[in-house]
Amino acid sequence: MTRKEYLIKQKDEKGRKLFGIFPAQYPREILWAMNVVPVEIWDPPLKVSHANAHVQPYICSVVKLGLELILQGKCDDLDGFLFPHTCDSIQNLASIVYNYLGLEKPCYFFYHPKAPYRDSSRLYYLEQLKVLVSRMEKQLGPLDLSVLKQCIERGQQVASVLRDLYGLRARGELKASNSEFYQVIRQGEYFHPDDFLPLLEEFLAASKGQADSGPSVILSGILPNPMGILTFLDNLGIRVAYDDFMIGSRRLLIPPSDLPDPFEQLTESYFRMPPCTTRASPIAQRRDYLFNMIDDATGVKGVIFYMVKFCEPEWFDIPNLVDELKTREIPALVLEIELNQEFSGQVATRLEAFMEMIGI
Amino acid sequence: MAFWLHPKYYKTIQYYFMKDLGAPALFWINQKQKKRRTRRHSPYLGPPLQCARRLREIMTRHYYLARFAKSAKPVAWVTSGAPVELLHVFNFYTIYPENHGAICGSRRMGPELCNQAEREGYSQDLCSYARIDLGHLFSGKTPAGKLPKPDVLFCSNNICQTVLYWFKELSYYWHIPLILFDTPYNFLGIHEKDIQYMCSQFQEMIPELERISGHGFSLSRFQEIIGIARETSLTWGRVLETMKHSPAPMTIFEAFVHIAPIVSLRGLPVCLDYYRILLKELEERVEKGIAAIKNERRRLMWDNIAIWFKLRDWAELFAERGYNFVAATYTNAWAETIHHLNERHPFESMAKAYSLVILNNNLNHRLKLMEKIIQEYKIDGLVIHSDRSCKPYSIGQYGLKRLLTERLGIKSVLIESDMTDFRVYSEDQARINLEAFFEALEN
Ligand code: SF4
Repeated sequence: MTRKEYLIKQKDEKGRKLFGIFPAQYPREILWAMNVVPVEIWDPPLKVSHANAHVQPYICSVVKLGLELILQGKCDDLDGFLFPHTCDSIQNLASIVYNYLGLEKPCYFFYHPKAPYRDSSRLYYLEQLKVLVSRMEKQLGPLDLSVLKQCIERGQQVASVLRDLYGLRARGELKASNSEFYQVIRQGEYFHPDDFLPLLEEFLAASKGQADSGPSVILSGILPNPMGILTFLDNLGIRVAYDDFMIGSRRLLIPPSDLPDPFEQLTESYFRMPPCTTRASPIAQRRDYLFNMIDDATGVKGVIFYMVKFCEPEWFDIPNLVDELKTREIPALVLEIELNQEFSGQVATRLEAFMEMIGI
Repeated sequence: MAFWLHPKYYKTIQYYFMKDLGAPALFWINQKQKKRRTRRHSPYLGPPLQCARRLREIMTRHYYLARFAKSAKPVAWVTSGAPVELLHVFNFYTIYPENHGAICGSRRMGPELCNQAEREGYSQDLCSYARIDLGHLFSGKTPAGKLPKPDVLFCSNNICQTVLYWFKELSYYWHIPLILFDTPYNFLGIHEKDIQYMCSQFQEMIPELERISGHGFSLSRFQEIIGIARETSLTWGRVLETMKHSPAPMTIFEAFVHIAPIVSLRGLPVCLDYYRILLKELEERVEKGIAAIKNERRRLMWDNIAIWFKLRDWAELFAERGYNFVAATYTNAWAETIHHLNERHPFESMAKAYSLVILNNNLNHRLKLMEKIIQEYKIDGLVIHSDRSCKPYSIGQYGLKRLLTERLGIKSVLIESDMTDFRVYSEDQARINLEAFFEALEN
C-alpha cells in the first residue's frame, strides 16, 4: 500500500483527520489522542519548481520540498498543518504558508523552549502543550485525558521496540540491511501507532539474528536521503551501528516517564530526549551522545555526517564534533547533500576514499 | 611597610585613566590625522552631518576602551536584540559581535575573516557575521584593535536562532557560560503565558549575572536604565521621522552608520545624549532646508540589513540620480518596540519590547509595517536586499515584494547579496537589476 493509499484509508475507514507536520519536535501523542494522524513532511519525492518563486536559492531542501508539496496541491487531503519552531527557515516557512498562501486549512504553531534549559523552560513546555490542545480543540473537539494516557502508553511501547531494534543493531544482532532498517522505521513518519507497533514487532522478530561480522559506522545528520548512501554501505558490507539522525534516534528513542499527569509525562520525556540541534542542545551533550554510541556499539570505525546543504543548526556543530572525534581517533567524513538528488559519483568517491582510510 | 595593590585594582585604575584621559587623547590625535587626508565629497550629496565626528568619537572610544575593560569590569558579548538594559545594572562592558561584523564588512574585511572560519570547517553558507566572529576568534584579526574575551555570553533568539548556534560555539571554545533569553516566536500573538515565561527567565538569570559580575541587582538602577533606553529609542524614532520631510535631511545610508550607538550602547546616558544632538542637528537642517542629497526626486525604502561594503558607492550611485533612501525596516527596528519599556513594570515591559521585534514577528506584521512606512514616508520605490546570511530577514521577501506591488503598485527591485561577504555579490547582476529599477522609477 502506498503512503497516499494508507492515509486515505485512515481518513475514510477510520474517520481520522490528517495533519501535515513539518520537522521536527512535536507532541505526536496529543495528535493521536485527538484522532489525528500526524503526516510528517521531510522529503517528499518531488522536483522543486513552484517553491522557487517563494524562497531563495540558499534555503534548505527540506523547506523547499515541503513548500513544493503544498504548492503542487498535494496536501489537499490534509485537514491542517503543524509547524514546530525548529529553525529560522521553518519558522518563516510557517508564516509564508499561513500569511501568504491563503490556504483554507488550520495552521498550528508549536514553540518549544531552547537550551540552556532552566526550570522556566519545563514549565513553559508544559503550558505550550496545553495551549496547543486548547487551540486544536476548537477544530477537533475536546481532548479526553484518558485517551491521551493510552496514546502516551502506545508511544512508549513504540519507543521501547525501537530501542530494542537500535540496541540489537548496535551489537550486530540484527540481520536487516541498512536500507531495510530505515525503510521500516521511516514508516512511523505517517503510520498510526496501532499499525506501526505491530509492523515494528514483526520486523524485529524477522530480523533478529547475527549480522555479517563486518565493520560498522555511525551516521549523523537530518535523514538518510538520497537513500543511495544506505545501499552503498550495504553493498560494501558495512553496517550502520547507530544513528544520530533527526528522523532517527534523536526523536524516536523517547525515554519513558511514569508520572501520573499525562502533560507532565510528556514534558519529562521531552527534556530527557537525546540532544538535538533544533533544541540548541550544548555541543558537549552531542559529543557525549556520539561517544556513548561508539562505546556501546560493536566495530565502529568512523562517523559519517550526512549533511543537508544550508541546514544552519547542524552545520554549526560540525567542526567541533569532528575535532572531538579526532581526539578519540575516530575518523569522520562530512558529506553535503541536497535531498532527492542523484547519489553522485563524487559522493561515492569520497565515501570510497573514507572507507579505504579507515581500513575497510 | 610595602603597600601592594591587588592586580584587579591596577586594571580598574588603568581602565578609568584610559576612559577619561587616554581615549580622548587618542581621538584628538586621530582627528588631526584625518584632517590631513580628508575624503572627496560627492557633488550629489548635501553637506555631511556635523554629528558624524561625535559619533566616531563615541564608537572609537567604546572599542578602544574595550582593550582595558578585561579584569576592570565584567565583560559580556551580547547579541543585537538582547535586553542589554539588564546587563548594565551589573556594570558589564558590552561587546556586540554583530556590530563588529558590520565594521569588518564596511572595511571590506568580511571574506578574509570568513575564510579563517571556513578553514576551521565552518560552512560558507553560515551567517557571515558568525563566520567573521569565529574568524576573529581563530586569528585575532580585527579592525577594532583587540576585543576583550568575555566572561559571559548573553544571547537572545529574538532576531534569529543563528545567534544561539553561534554563541553555543563561543561558549564551547572558551568554557564560559551562555545565558539565553528565549523569546517565543510571534506566530499568532504574544500571550500572557509567553510573557510569564520570559519574566521567569529574567528572575533566573539575575543570580547568575550577580555571580559572574560580582555586583548585586538594584531595582532602582534597573528602572533608571530602562527609562534611559526608552527615551533613547523614542529619540532615535524622532531622528528617523525627520526623513519624512521632503527633501529629507539625512539618507538611510547615514542612518545605517548612526545606528551604532543604539545597538551597542543602549541604556547608557552617552547614547541618549548623542541622539539628542543628532535630532537637533536634523531639525535645524529641516528648518534651513538643508537636504541630504542635492536633488531629491524619488524617495526610496530599504529592506534588510545594509550591504556594508557597498554603503559609500551606493550612497553616491543613488544620489547622482536624485534618489534618496528615507526609510528602512532595519533602522526602524530600534525605534519600533523598545519604547514599550516601562519603569513601573520593568520585566513585563522588557519581555514585550524584546519579543515583538520585527524578526520575531510573523510576515503579516512585516507586510503591514512596510505598507505603513511606504505611506507615511511617501515612498516611490523599494530596494529589497535578499541577504544570503540572514534567513529570518530574507525568507518571505519574494512574497512581500509581490504583495506590496499588488496592493500599493510600488516599484521594487530585489538584490541578491550578503551584508559582508562580497564573494557572493555580483556587481554586474546588481547593476542590471538596478538599471531596470531606475527605468521603472522614471516611468
Ligand atoms: S542570521 Fe541575521 S539576524 Fe542572525 S546574526 Fe546573522 S545577520 Fe544577524
